[in-house]
Amino acid sequence: MMPLSALNETRPLLAHHPIGASTGFMADERGDWPALVDAAAELSPFTAELAALSELELPGLLAYLLSAGDELPAFRYLSVHAPSKGLKLAEPKLVDSLQRLPATVDAIVVHPDVIDDPGEYRRLGARLVIENMDTRKGAGRTADELAPLLAELPDAGLCLDVAHARDVDASMDGAHALLDRFADRLRHLHVSSLDDAGHHVPLTVEDEAAFGPVLRRCRDVPWILEAPLSA
Amino acid sequence: MSGDGAASALQRLAAHGGDGFPHLIAARERTDAGLAALRARFAAARAIGGEAALPAGAWAGGALPADAAVVLFGSWGRGELTQGSDDDWLLLVDGPPRDGLDAAVAAVAGVLGGERAGPGPQGSFGTAAFGRDLVEHIGLEDDDNRNLTQRMLLMLESVPVVGDDVHRAVWQQILDRYLSESRTDRRPPRFFLNDVMRYWRTIAVDFAGKHRETDAKWGLRNAKLRTSRKMLFAGGLVPILRCHALKHADAAAFLARQLALPATDRVADAFLAAGQHDAGVRCLGAYDRWTGMLGDPAVRDELSALDRETASASPTFREVRRLAAELQNGLLALLFETPLAPAFREYAIF
Repeated sequence: MMPLSALNETRPLLAHHPIGASTGFMADERGDWPALVDAAAELSPFTAELAALSELELPGLLAYLLSAGDELPAFRYLSVHAPSKGLKLAEPKLVDSLQRLPATVDAIVVHPDVIDDPGEYRRLGARLVIENMDTRKGAGRTADELAPLLAELPDAGLCLDVAHARDVDASMDGAHALLDRFADRLRHLHVSSLDDAGHHVPLTVEDEAAFGPVLRRCRDVPWILEAPLSA
Repeated sequence: MSGDGAASALQRLAAHGGDGFPHLIAARERTDAGLAALRARFAAARAIGGEAALPAGAWAGGALPADAAVVLFGSWGRGELTQGSDDDWLLLVDGPPRDGLDAAVAAVAGVLGGERAGPGPQGSFGTAAFGRDLVEHIGLEDDDNRNLTQRMLLMLESVPVVGDDVHRAVWQQILDRYLSESRTDRRPPRFFLNDVMRYWRTIAVDFAGKHRETDAKWGLRNAKLRTSRKMLFAGGLVPILRCHALKHADAAAFLARQLALPATDRVADAFLAAGQHDAGVRCLGAYDRWTGMLGDPAVRDELSALDRETASASPTFREVRRLAAELQNGLLALLFETPLAPAFREYAIF
């Protein structure tokens, strides 16, 4: 994939700053955090999301970040996607690990269905960012469904996954409703398309057009691509 | 295009957000009340000849000249007064430099009293300044750091408590001087733009200079550089760039209207004009929360005690840094992803 800053000419909607990549789609390097970070920084030195989607990946990421020091690229905005799969740890232990993420991590993305006790996650303070879910999940999909959780986590922000929002409401009214309700808490976006199984896939032209009005309301926050862009 | 009307631009933007901007709105009310109290105090001091609280004879006999104004700067000028705000002030004289103002300067210091911290040791404030220096010495050797600072803050964040007409007259002379170099429609006044950008870079370079030898108060100064100083800069930069949409004949009146507003109103107005309500809510919302933090004495004390080595371990400093990033991201979106972008690209770099 070409560096993201070169996309302006062919995909004007994506002429946004900062825009970066999630390591979640970099399957070949999975587990090799220096290589993943290097690949993310090559795409954009400004922002990235380090995805420890399986709980098994979190210790390695934590160890890497705690020891990287000056070797970690100076991203302007760095998020970590907390585990949403393979959860074995008791909730307080998982939050302990997330809390140990160094100050270089600006945001910790958590799926709402992972949270049993919001009080535990309150420890993450303003670094906690809650992501809206797709139709595979039974909750956390809409503004109304997220409102009670965000009320219990007053310092937490919102990560708007635009593909999830379209999956829930193809008209994108649901995405607008999320922004209407939580505009002042938006921290960053996840941008991609979804396949029929709900997996993140490269942004399609159709989705790019459908996302346009929503993306234009989010010009000031980092956008994280959860799948590579097609040429 | 201006923020004229019953509701300020900040209030109109607040209507698009969940919480409004409670700290900024409260700070404006606090500033207005403080200014009213100071004006009353100056009026009383002049009425009684200064005998009650002023140095003997300081006020009596017309120690405050008719061609002088007492002008406050910083958070007073931005309408962001908090409990820990300083009193940075000048005795502004509409004319050439002259001697014999020591008594008047002492009288002003006496009336302002010691409720708040006075001007800093750099010498830019707490003294007399002369309109002719500010108007005629723009650039070259006579435009030293003090002159540049006084001129920029007069234009971008000042408010008079005595001598409104004098303040306005000097302010207008400086604006006229900046605009005298501009004669073209739909082009921002470059002379003014370059001076505002020079001032911002000077602040940033001077911050590094101040802390080359000591890290005293590094945390608080760094936090202000990321927030309040950035708002000051944006509050000048944005209205000047918006002149790219105006006829030359309209630019002066537009800038006069805009610069009479607090910086947060100028920025809020630009977000509204660009249709970027959500980004504006986040940008000013972050600044609102910073204003709330700054009003907490414990936060100020903690930030003041931090140096560059200890700052990153402080949750308070990290929160400031996060809010500052939201503020900056909003301003960058306003400058680069709205109709302001072509003007910024064309005029702001070279």
